[in-house]
Order: sequence, then structure tokens, then C-alpha cells
Amino acid sequence: MTGDVYRGRVLDVDLSSGRTAEVQLTDAERRLHPGGLSLGARFLWTGQQAGVDPLGPENTLVFGVGGLVGTNLLTASRTEVSAKSPATGLFGTANSGYYWGLELKMAGYDGLVIRGRAQRPVYLWITGQGLEIRDAAGLWGLDAWQSLRLLRAELGDDQVQAALIGPAGENMVRFASIQNGPYDAWARTGLGAVMGSKRLKAVAVRGRGSLRPADPRGFLSLTRETTTKVKASPFYTSFARYGTMLAASPYGAFGALPGKNFQTGRLAGWEENCTRKMVPQLSKRGIACSACPIACAHWTLVGEDLALKDMEVTPVFCLGAGLEILDLRAVARLTAYCQKNGLDIVSAASTVAFATELYERGVLSSRDVGFEPAWGSEEKALALLDLITYRRGIGDVLAEGTRLASRQIPGAYGYAMEVKGLELPIADPRGRLSTWTFGYLTNTRGGDHLRTRNPVENLRYNENPVPYRTERFGFDEAMLTGLDMSARDKEAIFDPETRDVDIPRMAKWSEDLIALYNCLGICIRPPVLHTLGPELLSRLWAAATGMELTPGEMLACGERVWNLQKLFNLREGENIRESVFPERFYREPLNGEAEGKVLDREAVQDTLAEYCRARGWDPASGVPLPGKLAELGIGGE
Amino acid sequence: MGRVLAVDPTLCVGCSLCALTCSLFNQGEFSPGAAHVSVTRDDFAGLFTIAFKSTCRRCHQCAQVCPSGAIRSLPSTGEGATEHDG
Repeated sequence: MTGDVYRGRVLDVDLSSGRTAEVQLTDAERRLHPGGLSLGARFLWTGQQAGVDPLGPENTLVFGVGGLVGTNLLTASRTEVSAKSPATGLFGTANSGYYWGLELKMAGYDGLVIRGRAQRPVYLWITGQGLEIRDAAGLWGLDAWQSLRLLRAELGDDQVQAALIGPAGENMVRFASIQNGPYDAWARTGLGAVMGSKRLKAVAVRGRGSLRPADPRGFLSLTRETTTKVKASPFYTSFARYGTMLAASPYGAFGALPGKNFQTGRLAGWEENCTRKMVPQLSKRGIACSACPIACAHWTLVGEDLALKDMEVTPVFCLGAGLEILDLRAVARLTAYCQKNGLDIVSAASTVAFATELYERGVLSSRDVGFEPAWGSEEKALALLDLITYRRGIGDVLAEGTRLASRQIPGAYGYAMEVKGLELPIADPRGRLSTWTFGYLTNTRGGDHLRTRNPVENLRYNENPVPYRTERFGFDEAMLTGLDMSARDKEAIFDPETRDVDIPRMAKWSEDLIALYNCLGICIRPPVLHTLGPELLSRLWAAATGMELTPGEMLACGERVWNLQKLFNLREGENIRESVFPERFYREPLNGEAEGKVLDREAVQDTLAEYCRARGWDPASGVPLPGKLAELGIGGE
Repeated sequence: MGRVLAVDPTLCVGCSLCALTCSLFNQGEFSPGAAHVSVTRDDFAGLFTIAFKSTCRRCHQCAQVCPSGAIRSLPSTGEGATEHDG
């Protein structure tokens, strides 16, 4: 009995010709590629030529639903979308939960490959009966919230889920998001611009089918075991109450905020106005994605005319600290703007901060911008976002993202806070160089915080025993015992005496695990990441699909995907010299001379070289060595 | 004394674990549409509706997995004015 939780069945549509087909992965392929991100890696690595224009018809956009989505496994809700990124020119990819993936699975599909470019605006309508290409003339130009309401009315079903773009995607802003329902998004790496370039407004889905696990009773029992373990994690209770807002206080205390375009890590008023203390005032309750008991997002009442699923820490760091807007209601209004217009909040906030600093330093004038940008001004931030969304005036340059804009605006070089073309989020590595912030350099999609993470990160400490190489553990032994990691990996990653964490090796291990999560559709929230590792996942995968993989083979699925993304990037011309932080981090002391923290360039590069060794990559070039590729079965496709 | 299901949709977070677990427990497959309990979303209002079909077998699995207290399994009081008894 194999069940049909993961069929390996993918819809393939060419918008240029209108032709649609179904692709069925072989059993051998399903074993190597367990859904989600692995589908994007497979179709982009083997099916797309190097050097294509990311905004041209030859760029392929892949929606890969996580292999365990549609089940009751906690947090199994997530779908990965991948294409060559118009922001970075590298492997673009983004992950989002909510209910879109569940609907596609219930319609009978695990993924969707979109090629070509439609002659006029269209949307896709997918059900168990297949796929229809429909006219979207009535939706083009509307924001994502308006479009979703109209789509549901037109389709006569208010439970339809849709992936859709706003005006920013239509106008091919290089950091446009694909919105997932009203509030969630496949935000990073500009995939909304790829949809816009294809004249594809939305992908609406509704599924009424079913998924049968290979071993229904066994799977039910394992999901109960998983839930019990996750709820027993020391991270669970506070996370379920406060969500990601838990991180706001510690980073404020570390002086590691991305304040005013990473000019300052400390902001007066942060603790009082922008931390978890605000959650009870603004949030009435949580809102969950499919199968998630944590419900980390907050239903936030901003004012009489606005309530939204909000108060996640990323917008609070990026819009709040980044623009010095220390008012969570204002942050929520700016968040709503990005949700409606389809902008990646991290890159949008960073680009507004970039423009504001350029004005502050006299690189841009009020005549260049049309007004005077200012820190702490919701009104000026909204005005800049609007210029970007509609590519008006200076907004047309800013819509290219900070890296390209910094090359076009004379005097702007050095003020773009990005790595490999992707704007940096959240925390300043000068204030805390951890596995997490080191990941800005190693992340295959560029400067991003969501794919490299120490699952036992201890935010009570910020003095690392060996700078840039180890991170203090500081928990009791039970925290390590509860971590689902092989004894061999624990031995390699944790110091035998102190338990301190080896940053390069933890980076590699966590990237492989998170890549596996992004294949299976599981969420990286701390209580989950701490609990659900290769051993438990291999048992769940077997009960769901009948495919028996050892824990090591499960983790290798993640490692394979990580390497395929790296190979894609190298094929597109990525060079290890780009794996550097913005120059500011090496030259300008964070928080002034008193704290005086700058990064030591050589020490950072040494850690990066050690990471490459841990990965089986050449430390000088960052290129995967033949032995590693052979071990992962890459190259024989 | 038996048990009844107490339902308060204002506490619902929308996760649909009730429907997913119901269909797995009773039908051996995941099928939110065929489950005895369903959650419908008004995501612009942040509100959810919970409905039970007459086919519900009173297994109370939905209450066991509900994370928010929107569906609870309680000892029957015999009054049942605000309770759903399946």
C-alpha cells in the first residue's frame, strides 16, 4: 500500500501556446524529490537554460506543494515557488503556508509549472477537473485584496484560494511578491514580477478530493506523537502566545536592530513600543495556516476601518526599525499596503530606507524624489512605496532593488544593504554574529534569514566563546536530548564539554533540514525546528507514502536540494566573492565608537571557508566537489 | 454520563485540524469536504464557521485536536442549550 499523499503529479502549462500537460514523476524521482522546493530545483536545474531573462517568457515558474501538505501533520501547509529571480539573477524561491497548497493537493496535484507569456492578462483556474486559462482583463490593475474578492465572486465560491499579484507585480517591480490569499505571501526574490512578466494575475484553486496515507492508523499515531513532542518543547508555550514577536526584545537589547538602513542598532522607544508587550493590546487571537495548532499570526485590530492578519516580527524589524517608525499601528498600515499591492516587505522596507538615507546624505534631493523623505514618517514611507509600486519618478529606479539602483544613482554605492542582490532583513550581524546572521552569506537566495538557523539558539547570551565560529549553548542537557539530530551530527556540531555550537557545521545541518522542510511543506517555527528532525520525519514519510528512507536519506533530500540550488547559481555566474556583507558592516562601528563593533573581514571569510569544507565544497571557490555530487546522486539526471 | 461537544467559533483559529483528523480517523483518508465537521473561512473578517454534519459519529477526535478551545468535549449536563451533541 503506497497511498497517494504525494503523487508526484504536476500540471505543466505554457501560457504562450495555451497548451497544458500533466507530468508524472517516476517512483525513483519521487524518492529523490519529496515535493515542494525539490520540484522547483528539479524543473529549473534540468529544464531551464542558463542565462535566460528572469522577466522573459523563457523563465519557468514552479509551484511545488510540500509533500506532506494536506495531512494533519502539524504545520504541514506550505508551498514553495521558484524561478530565476529578477532580484538576484540566481535561484529565486519563496515559501508560504495558509491554504493554497491544501487546495491544490485536494485537486489532485503536487505542483504546477508555468512557462511562456500570455498575450493578454489571464488567470488560471484549477480544480479536480484540470486547468483552465481564463481572461483576467477585469482584474488587471486591481490590488490583491480587490482581485481576490472579485475572483471568488466570479467563481461562485468564497473558499477558493488564490496566489495573486498586485500592481507591483504587474509593473515588474523586482521585489514584487506573490500574495497567498489576503495576508500571506511568497515574498522574497521578486517572483511576483515573474508572474507579472507572464501577464498572469492569479492562480485560483479549489480541490474536493482526498489523500490516503499508506498507513492511516500509523500516520495518525505518529502525528499525535509529533504534536505531543512539539508541545513539550521549551519554545512552545511562549511562541504560541506571542508568535515571532518574541524576537523583538532580545535584538533590541543586543543593539542589533537594522535601524535606519543599518546605521544604528539601538532605537529609543523600541522596547516600549515594538516588542511582545504590544501583543495583548493589539491582538485578539491567533490565525493559523492549515494544520497548525500554533497559530502564530495575530488578528490585529489597527483601527475601525482596518483589521488584518499581522504582527509578525519581520515587518516590525524592517518597517519599524528600518524606517524608525516605532508605532505598530503604522507598521500594520504599511504592511497592509504591501499585502494589497504585492511587495516583499523586507526588500520594500530596505529600499525605502536606502532612499531615505540617500536623501539624508544629500545623494538624492527633494527634487529627485518629489518630496523630502524622512525617518519616522509613515506618510513619507507610503509615498515612496507608491512611487515604487507604480514605477513613477525615482520609483522607477528604486523598483529595480537597491543593488541595481545603487549602480544607477551617482553616489549611492555602499548604501544598498543587500547580499547577492537580496535586501537584508531583521538583525545586524555586527550586533550578533550567530548561525542565523551568518546565514545571510550562505543562503542560496541571498541576504535572507529563513533558511539557516540554530534550532537551539539561546537568546540569553550574546558573547560567543569563539567569535564567528561558535555560539554559546547555555541550556540544560534536556534541550540537546530533545533535538532530533543523529548522535554523529551532535558530536560534530556541539562541543563535548561546553555544548557550544559550531556555527559553520550548524549552518550546514540546519540548511539541509530546512530545505527538507521546504520540500515536505513544514514550518520552521522554533518549537517545530527543535523537535521534528530526520528521524521523526523518516517515520512520518514512510507512513504517509510507503517510501522507506533512513533518517540520513531524508536529510540528504534537503542537502541535494541545497546543492542543486547552488549549482543553478553557479551556472548563472555566482562567484564566492559575492558572499560578503555590505561594506558598511566592515567599516562603520555599530552604535558609534562607544560600542564600536565592526566585522572582521578575514575572520568572516575563514568561517565561510570552514562552512564550504563542511559542505564538501571547495573552500576557495565555493563549488561543490565531484565526490559530494556523486554522493547526492547529482549529475546522473 | 455522556459527553457533548461545546462549540465556540469565536475561538477558532481556522487550522482545520478538526476536519483533517475527523476524515483520517473515520474514513482513513484526508478529505476536508467529506469530514463530519467543516471549517469555513471569512479571511477578510478573520472569522470562521464550524459546522457538523448529521453523519457525525461523536468520536470527539475533533475536540482532542482543537488547539484553541473552539471545539471542546465536555461532560453532558443534560441541558445542552448551547451545546452541539454531534
